[in-house]
Amino acid sequence: MTAASLHLELPKLTPEAEALRQDVRAFVAEERSSGRLPPPRRVGLGFDKEMTRRIAQKGWIGLTWPKQYGGQERSALERYVMNEELLAAAVPVGAHWVADRQSGPVLLKFGTDAQREFYLPRIAAGELTFSIGMSEPESGSDLASLKAKAEKVDGGWRLNGRKIWTTNAHHAQYIIVLARTSTVEGSRHAGLSQLIVDMTSPGISISPIVSMANEHDFNEVLFEDVFVPDDALVGKEGNGWNQVSAELAYERSGPERWLSSFRLISELVDVLGADARPSSLEELGRLISHLLSLRQLSMSVASMLQQGQSPNMEASIVKDLGTKFEQEAVRVVRNIVSAEDLTSGGRAERLKALLMHAQQYAPAFTIRGGTNEILRGIIAKGIGLR
Amino acid sequence: MSENRSFFRDTVERILADTVDKADIDAAEEKRVLPADLHDALIENGITLMLVPEDQGGIGATLGDTAAMLRLIGDAAAPGPILETILGQRLLADAGLDLAEGLLSLVFVDDLANLPRDATHWQQAAAYEVPWAEAVEKILVVARDGDGARLLVSQAADWTITPGVDAAGEPRDTLTAQSLPVTSAALPDYDAVLGMAAILRGAQILGAIEWSFRRTVEHAGERKQFGREIGKFQAVQQMLAELAGHVLASSAITEAAAEGQTSGLVAAARSRLGDAADATITIAHQVHGAIGFSLEYALNSRTRRLMAWRDDYGSVLYWRRALASRFTPLNRETFWFGVSDAGLAA
Repeated sequence: MTAASLHLELPKLTPEAEALRQDVRAFVAEERSSGRLPPPRRVGLGFDKEMTRRIAQKGWIGLTWPKQYGGQERSALERYVMNEELLAAAVPVGAHWVADRQSGPVLLKFGTDAQREFYLPRIAAGELTFSIGMSEPESGSDLASLKAKAEKVDGGWRLNGRKIWTTNAHHAQYIIVLARTSTVEGSRHAGLSQLIVDMTSPGISISPIVSMANEHDFNEVLFEDVFVPDDALVGKEGNGWNQVSAELAYERSGPERWLSSFRLISELVDVLGADARPSSLEELGRLISHLLSLRQLSMSVASMLQQGQSPNMEASIVKDLGTKFEQEAVRVVRNIVSAEDLTSGGRAERLKALLMHAQQYAPAFTIRGGTNEILRGIIAKGIGLR
Repeated sequence: MSENRSFFRDTVERILADTVDKADIDAAEEKRVLPADLHDALIENGITLMLVPEDQGGIGATLGDTAAMLRLIGDAAAPGPILETILGQRLLADAGLDLAEGLLSLVFVDDLANLPRDATHWQQAAAYEVPWAEAVEKILVVARDGDGARLLVSQAADWTITPGVDAAGEPRDTLTAQSLPVTSAALPDYDAVLGMAAILRGAQILGAIEWSFRRTVEHAGERKQFGREIGKFQAVQQMLAELAGHVLASSAITEAAAEGQTSGLVAAARSRLGDAADATITIAHQVHGAIGFSLEYALNSRTRRLMAWRDDYGSVLYWRRALASRFTPLNRETFWFGVSDAGLAA
């Protein structure tokens, strides 16, 4: 794509997508009124296996997958609509998010029939949590420098290495590990492979990493002579880099990149009246205009995915803009809370709690899933600069 | 893209290629003259009657078609009251008045100082920052009138014109008259007319942003320092990637607003374009270095138009307040409904 073709077609939401939107809203309303879904006091995806099972019962995990694998064969735009409704309501989706967004689609695209038949229906049923084994202590943005190594042994691979920032590894049944399986002269990207590793395998140890927001999502996972059977190789041996690149487009374009702190803004709007200062309205209006723009952009990307395109650059732009927006939202809400004196004297207690947590959480927005500097490198390549 | 849309785009692209170059843009500033070939061609091809319904002698194009066309006009930095004429003809039609033969200028005023509705003359008339008053046939004034609006049509020749300019050097004049003959008519909705003007100017802003982005990426690929193209440096790449984000986000919301035509979307588009225009001016010039700062280099013909246009037909801050005010009545649950139901998708 060249600079001249930096353009998106307007997406059209079908009646089916709008009907699904109403279904999700009805589900959210029922969960709220039953007390199973209290308005949140923290930002982020949340983790609740029971909620994941209830979402699975609706058929909303693996929504776009073939029916033979437990999917519904719905469109990418319908999946987009479902996700934005769940995220905007802060429904805890963390227990299946990675499997639904990333692991499942990778298996669908590159996996064997046996892998699809085994894993996909279980993911769709809400039974499996997946983790992503990419980053390592010495390999962050420079992922291709990773040192995890899988050596060929009789009937499988012997895996050694250390993965870090592994979200939900302590909850996951499986992790898809990117490891070096061969050395190719002159190419760092060749010789990497993806392996599905059962988290109960002997030789795996998990250490928690508590974040500065005082939460345990991240882990460090150590693999010591872990045996991984042959049938756990995903796709072609040595093709891991290409597979991961495709996977990251799913990871980068979704609405979670600009909706994970949405409740902070909705709590602010809840307490802000029409008598707000003009300067507060100007800051809020600016924020909402960015929100609406991101939403439009995100729908366009979903529409491109639906048409079978690979909008890698556009997905990177969504994540770059979306994560910056989320950090900006924290600043704007903090300023308006201060200017309008909204939380003193014990008032708007939930808004105060959300703002506290969002401030602590916000540095992660522009780091996880590829730093914004790396994303901008991808964008620069997309517009022909490298 | 619809067949009509493609046809309009092709026609206007051809007209622009044939009739506008840097010398025409400079002449508009230095000599206050319009590129006559351009405006003759736009009139001859019916472009100035785009928004007038077919049964009233126009083409009956959509606002989306018109925005797509004005995006090209902004891209080319084509001088003159093109938006003003297109929208002005539509307002004349809406008000049941005769269409104009030539060009129109258009200005919004909030207060007409109690001018009676049946007045045939406007005493002590004044209008400010009126585009191209010396070059047009008629001046249209849109005024708020209770919940609705009034359209005052006057002959440009009846005004006393004190020349002024906008940031791009295009005429924006001060008009006064002791006793101005006017034809007055009612329009249903002031804010709707302002919104149409705002999104059409938004399309021009987007075009100027896109040209600047394209040119700057090209420049970064051509200009060498330290023995290589400056676009090879990460610092420059990061700036241009940031600009690409502004271009893509503002085009997504502007297109949605032009198609959807809801007032919330228009407000969002003009707010988002305000940030994109700021970033374009900053980044395009930074990447160009001293070269882009010279009057001779074409970049300023776009960036100075962004300076002139970004607060036209409602300032950036006006549209931000307007947008926020639509959402403050909502609560923690209905806020999302407001966001998702903003008419974003057809």
